[in-house]
Amino acid sequence: MFKAQNHSISRKLTWMNMLVSGAALLLACAAFIAFDMITFRQAMLRNLSTQAQIIGSNSVSALLFNDPQSAENTLLALKAAPNILSAQVYQPDGQPFASYSRDRDRHSPVLPAMPSGQTETHWIEDDQIALVRSIVLDGKPIGAVYIRSDLQELHTRLQRYALIAAIVLSACLLAALLISSIFRRAVAEPIVDLSKIAKVVSQDKNYSVRATPIRSPSELAILIDAFNEMLAQIQQSERALRMAHDELEQRVRERTAELEAAKKEVEEFSHSILLAKEEVERGSKFKDQFLSTMSHELRTPLNAVLGFSDLLADERYGPLNERQQRYVSHIHTGGKHLLSLISDILDLSKIEAGRMELGIESLRMETVFGEVLSAMQPLADKKSQEMTRSVEAGLAVRADSTRFKQVLMNLLGNAIKFTPSGGRIEVAARSVEGKVRVEVRDNGPGIPPEEQQRIFEAFYRLRESGKKTEGTGLGLAITHRLVELHGGKLSLESQVGQGSCFYFCLPVAEGVREPPSRRTESSSLSAAPARILVIEDDPATAQLIQSQLTSAGYEVLVCGEPQNALEMAARFQPGAITLDIVMKPKNGWEVLSQLKRDKRTAQIPLIVVSIVDQPSMGMLLGADEYLVKPVDKSTLLGAIRLHVSIRPATAPGRPILVVEDDAATREFIAEMLSAQGYAVATAADGAEARAQVAASLPELVILDLVLPEVSGFELLREWRASPRTADLAVFILTSMDLTQEEQSYLRTHAESLFRKQEPWQEALLKHLERVVPLGTAEKV
Amino acid sequence: MYRANEISGRRPNVQSHVCSHSRCSLLQFLAMVIAWAFFTATGLLAQQAKPSEYQVKAAYLYNFGRFVKWPAGAAAGKGDSFPVCVLGRDPFGPILDATLAGEALEGKPVVIRRIARPQDAADCRILFVSSTEENRLKEILAAIDQAGVLTVSDIPGFSRRGGMIQFVVEGDRIRFEINLASTESARLVLSSELLKVAAAVRRNARAGD
Repeated sequence: MFKAQNHSISRKLTWMNMLVSGAALLLACAAFIAFDMITFRQAMLRNLSTQAQIIGSNSVSALLFNDPQSAENTLLALKAAPNILSAQVYQPDGQPFASYSRDRDRHSPVLPAMPSGQTETHWIEDDQIALVRSIVLDGKPIGAVYIRSDLQELHTRLQRYALIAAIVLSACLLAALLISSIFRRAVAEPIVDLSKIAKVVSQDKNYSVRATPIRSPSELAILIDAFNEMLAQIQQSERALRMAHDELEQRVRERTAELEAAKKEVEEFSHSILLAKEEVERGSKFKDQFLSTMSHELRTPLNAVLGFSDLLADERYGPLNERQQRYVSHIHTGGKHLLSLISDILDLSKIEAGRMELGIESLRMETVFGEVLSAMQPLADKKSQEMTRSVEAGLAVRADSTRFKQVLMNLLGNAIKFTPSGGRIEVAARSVEGKVRVEVRDNGPGIPPEEQQRIFEAFYRLRESGKKTEGTGLGLAITHRLVELHGGKLSLESQVGQGSCFYFCLPVAEGVREPPSRRTESSSLSAAPARILVIEDDPATAQLIQSQLTSAGYEVLVCGEPQNALEMAARFQPGAITLDIVMKPKNGWEVLSQLKRDKRTAQIPLIVVSIVDQPSMGMLLGADEYLVKPVDKSTLLGAIRLHVSIRPATAPGRPILVVEDDAATREFIAEMLSAQGYAVATAADGAEARAQVAASLPELVILDLVLPEVSGFELLREWRASPRTADLAVFILTSMDLTQEEQSYLRTHAESLFRKQEPWQEALLKHLERVVPLGTAEKV
Repeated sequence: MYRANEISGRRPNVQSHVCSHSRCSLLQFLAMVIAWAFFTATGLLAQQAKPSEYQVKAAYLYNFGRFVKWPAGAAAGKGDSFPVCVLGRDPFGPILDATLAGEALEGKPVVIRRIARPQDAADCRILFVSSTEENRLKEILAAIDQAGVLTVSDIPGFSRRGGMIQFVVEGDRIRFEINLASTESARLVLSSELLKVAAAVRRNARAGD
């Protein structure tokens, strides 16, 4: 391969040299010989012409005096020129006059023609040159000379030249060969060397080899140097690359190890986190348990303290002297304070622990204000304070009902507490930029600016008022946080001596009426007969609803013609109305709005029972409850029960069953109910309650949720599951902190829910009055 | 004429060496025309070439004048013409006049004079001495001695007896003998060409005297 290349390039060089020099030489020789031949021939011709001329002029006298011998003598001189084949002198008439022949050939050719006006002509024939020259004397031709010469001399010369040219050519080619061998050393060999190196580099990737540098400064040398330099650079960069690669690998290895270590660490860490999380979860579970336990365990004895001190103060069991009364009052006050303190602490703990759950719903401000103000009114009345409210009609807020009321009560309570007697307190709610802004304003002493910053801190109390006001010092802190939980911010504007204004903004609820489940207030407290008007144009459905209601002891009127519904409702004044929507000729929406517009019927609770699933529409038109068919019996009765005072068709004398595991509380409730004239039965635990209810159906059950062995929830579930007890009225009275789920369950499955954290006695008695009017229940 | 034909007839033979192909027929034709023209012209001249003795001799007379140089101071050279004289009875007759008519020598027109007295020959350039004057030859030669006249005669022994050029007949050819001593004494310079073709050249002054 290399050999062939070597061969090829050097042979090429040699060939090139030889061809070039040979061609040049050949051309030169050819040109020279051609030139020389032409010149020589011309010289020959000239020579011939001269000879002819000489012969002519020497033959003049011979011709003139008719002496051929003389002419022949002249011609004999041509012997000296061996190239002359023959020569003749002719007379003017063309007759040969004298003749000469080199080879003794006496043949005299005929005188050829002479072009007119010329004295000489020549031609070449048979490898001979022939020349005719006329002999002229005094302008008259007196004869002609004819000379023939062979071209032997020319040929000889040509041969000699050919020989010389051949010799020179050979010599030159030899020289070219020698020179090309030198060139090969100078040019071909370095190139071959270079190509060999290039081959090695490209095949073996061996960059350490180098081409042999040559000393002479030429392009080839530059090429070789550049090639070597390139190789060096490649080698260097390759080395660098390899180093970088190795380094990279090393680094990758290290990094991998690091990563593995880190991974292990992370795993360990995550494991520990998992453990910690479990621990935290366990801890928080404990905390939850602790909170609920504490809430229960602390409140239960306090309820007893409060309840019995209340009973004592009533002097039901004998008159108390003034001191006794004072002491009982102290006990009661202290107990209440302690209870609210405990409630606050537990609330705060829950908030801090992020355990406070909010059941956000749409609340009508008017209703909320009504409830809260009616609860706070007695306190204000005590201090002869004027309490006013202003609320935009139909304004509703997105909030948790209980907590929102708690916020309002706290703020109002503070206002009442810190505003001197005869002061003015104002609550307002209005819509501001898509939010509901709630304000509680008083004209009390105001709060100095330096205290405004700290007022929302826990256990903070106004210095000045500290000694004469009671309170936990947690109210504002809780309120503040509750507002925050609702997505708002409680703020304060106050000037000393001018009064204070607490305000906050919460999201507005669009066009939703307050859920009727809380509308305890709106229910008629009168003991009107529990008569239900069923507006339903489908007789079969009407029959079904009627039978369901009748079985629960209601008196039922069916109105099959919607156009007459208003008239019937106005006339009979039912305790509640159920309304179908898809009716003819008048649909339920029209009837609904008609009923709600008419003063005579507007107050009657209205329950939509329809296949049309548009509760918001129904609520908007003023429906108090919206049930979507198919409606089961318990749902229907539950709804009606919420809005209608029951007049159960039960036998009188059935007692109210109080299920309470704490003996003191149980006794207190029993005392309280007895004092109102109700018959009371008690059960200390779930099992006992279950047995009693199984034995005889009570008028109503007041049920604590936290019971040993069988919990209140379980009992309630059992009772609701059984047809016999499905309609049994159950009041829940508990100190348990309820989740949203539990709350919603209770709301639908129990008649009322009372919390021991809040003042509950009065509300319970009020509610009881509605459900079990005195006189129906047997009095003690 | 037949010669011309003969030449014309042989021309193609020559031409065929040069041009053996039919395409050369035009060239051959041209060559024939040219040859015919050439030899017709020379042929006319050649009609007199089968000449009589005196025709040749007349031509020789003229031709001698071409190979001789006359001395510059010679009396004969004074005139405007180149006189050729015939002394004695004229053997040429009109031939001489015909031959020399319109010719010129030494740049002067040739005139023919027929003279009877030797003394009349002094201003001649060429003097032909008729054979009738054989007896007075000595007198004649003496009369023109030193006069620079080229003397020609066909008198036998003329060159030996002091004459310059003597016609001799060899076979059918007419030749001449030259006496160089005579020409040299007359200060005439004869061309070597003339000497070359002379049948004999004598150098003795008066051989036979």
